[in-house]
Amino acid sequence: MKAPKDGVPPAATAGGAAAVADPAPDPPRKRRSRERLTPPSWLALLFLLPALALLGFLVVYPIVYSVIRSLFDATGDAFAGVDNYTGVFQGRENLIAVRNTAIWVVVAPSLVTIVGLFFAVLTERIRWATAFKLVVFMPMAISFLASGVIFRLVYQQDPDKGVANAAMVAIHDTFAQDTGYPGAGPRGGGDQPLREDAGGVATTGTHSAGQSVLMPLVKVKPEYVPDGAEPAAQPPPAQAGQVTGTVWFDFTRGGGGEPNVPNAGETGLPGVKVEAVRGGEVVATATTNADGTFTMADVPDGAYTIRLPADNFTAPYRGAEWLGSTLITPAIIGSYLWVWSGFAMVLIAAGLAAIPRDALEAARVDGATEWQVFRRVTIPLLAPVLMVVAVTLTINVLKVFDLVYIIGGGDPNASVLALEMWTEAFGGGNDQGAGSAIAVLLFVLVAPAMLFNIRRIRQERT
Amino acid sequence: MSTGEKAAKNPDRPDGPAGGTAAGGAAAGGNGAAGSPRRGVAARVVGRIGGGAAQSVLVLIALFWLVPTFGLLVASLRSNEDNAASGWWNVFTEPTQLTLESYSALLDKPDFVDSFWNTVLITVPATLLVVAIASLAAYAFAWMEFPGRDWLFLLVVALLVVPVQVALIPVAKLYGNIQFGGWQMFGSVTGVVLFHVAFGLPFAIFLLRNFFAAIPRDLLEAARMDGGSEWTIFRRVIFPLGGPAIASLGIFQFLWVWNDLLVALVFADTEAQPMTKWLQSQMRQFTGNIDILAPGAFLSLIVPLAVFFAFQRYFVQGVLAGSVK
Amino acid sequence: MAILPQPGLMKQYAEKGSLKPLSPDVVSEVDKNFSPYWKELGSSGDKTYGVMIKAAYKSILWYRPQAFSDAGVQPPTTWQELVTAAGTLQEAGTTPFTLAAGPDDSWTLTDWFENVYLSQAGPENYDKLAEHEIKWTDPTVKKALETLAEIWGKPDFLNGGVATATKTKFDESVTQAFGQEKAAMVYGGDFAAANIATTNAKVGTDAKVFAFPKAGDTAPAILGGDVAVALKDGEGAQELMKFLASPEAGKVWAGLGGYLTPNKNVPPDAYADPVAKELIGQLQQAGDAARYDMSDLTPAAFGATPGDGMWEALRTFVQKPDDVAGTQKKLEAEAAEAYK
Repeated sequence: MKAPKDGVPPAATAGGAAAVADPAPDPPRKRRSRERLTPPSWLALLFLLPALALLGFLVVYPIVYSVIRSLFDATGDAFAGVDNYTGVFQGRENLIAVRNTAIWVVVAPSLVTIVGLFFAVLTERIRWATAFKLVVFMPMAISFLASGVIFRLVYQQDPDKGVANAAMVAIHDTFAQDTGYPGAGPRGGGDQPLREDAGGVATTGTHSAGQSVLMPLVKVKPEYVPDGAEPAAQPPPAQAGQVTGTVWFDFTRGGGGEPNVPNAGETGLPGVKVEAVRGGEVVATATTNADGTFTMADVPDGAYTIRLPADNFTAPYRGAEWLGSTLITPAIIGSYLWVWSGFAMVLIAAGLAAIPRDALEAARVDGATEWQVFRRVTIPLLAPVLMVVAVTLTINVLKVFDLVYIIGGGDPNASVLALEMWTEAFGGGNDQGAGSAIAVLLFVLVAPAMLFNIRRIRQERT
Repeated sequence: MSTGEKAAKNPDRPDGPAGGTAAGGAAAGGNGAAGSPRRGVAARVVGRIGGGAAQSVLVLIALFWLVPTFGLLVASLRSNEDNAASGWWNVFTEPTQLTLESYSALLDKPDFVDSFWNTVLITVPATLLVVAIASLAAYAFAWMEFPGRDWLFLLVVALLVVPVQVALIPVAKLYGNIQFGGWQMFGSVTGVVLFHVAFGLPFAIFLLRNFFAAIPRDLLEAARMDGGSEWTIFRRVIFPLGGPAIASLGIFQFLWVWNDLLVALVFADTEAQPMTKWLQSQMRQFTGNIDILAPGAFLSLIVPLAVFFAFQRYFVQGVLAGSVK
Repeated sequence: MAILPQPGLMKQYAEKGSLKPLSPDVVSEVDKNFSPYWKELGSSGDKTYGVMIKAAYKSILWYRPQAFSDAGVQPPTTWQELVTAAGTLQEAGTTPFTLAAGPDDSWTLTDWFENVYLSQAGPENYDKLAEHEIKWTDPTVKKALETLAEIWGKPDFLNGGVATATKTKFDESVTQAFGQEKAAMVYGGDFAAANIATTNAKVGTDAKVFAFPKAGDTAPAILGGDVAVALKDGEGAQELMKFLASPEAGKVWAGLGGYLTPNKNVPPDAYADPVAKELIGQLQQAGDAARYDMSDLTPAAFGATPGDGMWEALRTFVQKPDDVAGTQKKLEAEAAEAYK
């Protein structure tokens, strides 16, 4: 699987053998006449040959080739020195890729490790731990490409299509009020009875008690007009101390009709809040009926502007821009988390299981609280496992290609070095010099892990 | 300290009250209470409800984890028009939307079926070859003497972390130079297989070598004294005993190769392309052809999932291989 | 043999020597059936390498007749009329456009630009800009960008605003307009008919086209097309190329729909699709004023790469329609690098 291939090698096998001393020739090689106790070197070579041949041609030689190739330009003929390398850090898009890679390396491994730890600890307490682990681990078995397709579906912008935004909108709407008619507004052009007013709509002239006000709106989208809306009606005659009016969608199907007057076929807009305002103060309010008419009562004398406040027109919440320039890298890291948390969880859970109970008991007897036990005893004992997980993930993150390629879909805002390498060399950039340089750079970044491994092996063998 | 003793005897079964470690706050409800007066009221209360809270949180998390894959499955069971018009969860209110037409249309496409066979053709040899070659090499590293053995082994271990990106360009060039008559290495299934084998070897050799080295020396000595040649020893002793490790390795390699995209993108041409590459080529019109992508992606993950569930014991073993001392 | 979507790419390969020139036989077939402009597109230096086997007509806008009649709007013929029509549609409660400005599909933005530019600046300037003899910082480019901002710069004109547009793929833009009925118009070449077919809308009744409105004096006729080239010498390859250059090949495909050919000897009757018939008439009428899609004539790194060059510059312009000068600078910088 993808996991340990990325390279922090096992310290011991599942078979249980701990640090194995190598089968050094103990007591002097006994040479019995016709039996060999240790096989001859040439036989070893035979056993090793296929492996060494493949590794040599397809792994070692390429490393050398890449380093050399990276010092030449796109055509491969002209020596370019370190130009390809400096080129990686030049240009806006390249810098974005570098920045993104840095974000990935810093955020993703630690995040996944912490989540894995959290899961590992929680699953200790339940009986169905194995089932849970299987569920969380399962994404490791499917290709990154399928995961990419899955998450493209999840992150689709339209809340009618993408589950992430659908959930966001659903949650938001349980707390927020019904919006009215987003996008609607007064007719433009000169000499209109209405004008825009701080996100809402207000009359251009003033009105007083005993008058009727016509408030024609345009740009009303049909999906926001409720089913119960009725054809626009003339406002009822206003009694003393009342202001009446109609708020309606002033557009006849097919065009035509008299503007600013309710015509047949035009629909009233129910549920609109109306205010009478004087000197910045709201003096009376009303809400429109099914046919768009409203009546404001108890209106004192004086001139007022009649206003439809902005919250009648606020744009509906449509979820977050998951694949937009700011959120796209976090979104892809989210999908990475979905895939790899299982790996971290399984490893850490095994580590937890191996912690000797006595150490914990001893700490408890000494009077430590659970949290202290966790912090002072468990975590330090887990440290090797956590390190292995974190390092493996870091190496893996440097190479992440499929997820970014599929979910990002070519968006330069999502790019990382591994993707840049492919694009430069094979995906249209046609510059194998630059591609090699990025590959070598990746290799260099990964080298510390290599040393880490080697050190561990040598430690084991002593 | 009876609980402690019990736990020490069963380090692999930390369920129920014998479970040792506690999450921050969720105290090990009741155990280890013997003589720890400073647990604090808060901790004790949380401990009582800890179990229940942990359960519900975990159930929620498990459901949440399943949603994305479930979404893909449902999307694959709807028609293209339905998918273009609304999200997959609408199926719950309109169950009649479910249909198998996307799957049958997909299976009628020779491209897709070919790519499925290509995937098999690439993955099976890659897995078998890695197991075979690595076993031989691992045995040599474990039980044979030769000069420079340790250094060579360290070199192999070092290669564990080499990113495939480093090798893409050089090997592409190399393959381009290998041609016989009309056949070219570059773009062929063979090329892809060999590349996967090469990059699978470091981990495989490492894993198997450690495992083989753990086999008791006496067994080997006995076999040698019975006059067996190295090859016989390998076949009769090492291979069978190394069974579990070889199985985990095989499964790992199988999944890794089955699911690979990058190597296929570079080294496989259209005739040789595995499912991952085929799927990627369909991504151009993501929403336009979700009726191809969704069932295609789902079919491509069925086999790995099946392998995973069938062999999950070995799988987990392999992952664990040695991170815990 | 290969089919390349861009003559610019074909020229790059020809210069590298990867393509085989067509045999004199095939060239004479090309001369018979194609006007010099088309032959020239398939040539590099003195030799002809490619046969234009498929054309796409790109100077149209697709619209929903129902939305237009509900708002009382007629298909516009000039850019001003288009802007006014969009405003009326908006007042009627219908979003005027969907725009495919996703990173993979920003070629739609280049097509908008080319239609406007050709119309305003004329064919000669168009050719010069394609060859990079005029810089992208030229006042003609400024004018075209400012014109585009009259539509792109009004977020309410675009379905879902800028946020959605910059993530929308081409096929999504078509299905949003005709499947989900979220807008009245969408840009797409004749090939959009295939996308419309995936929805419940019918081409010809629920989805119609009108010619891309004139932003200047010239009626724009922008074409795309695929060019077939031979990678290896051999009788088989040349025979196939000869067949592809002949009217017979064109007739076969025309009968299947969703296809146009620049082969002047394929009669309009051969086309099964009514929209295609209409467009082939327009194409053949445009004659010499017709121009090939500029972004396909430029080097691939400038005109044909997602996330790069002209595509990304225009995509950024959609997000910042006030910054004409900045966009021009970016275009020029990318061009300078690509034309090296």
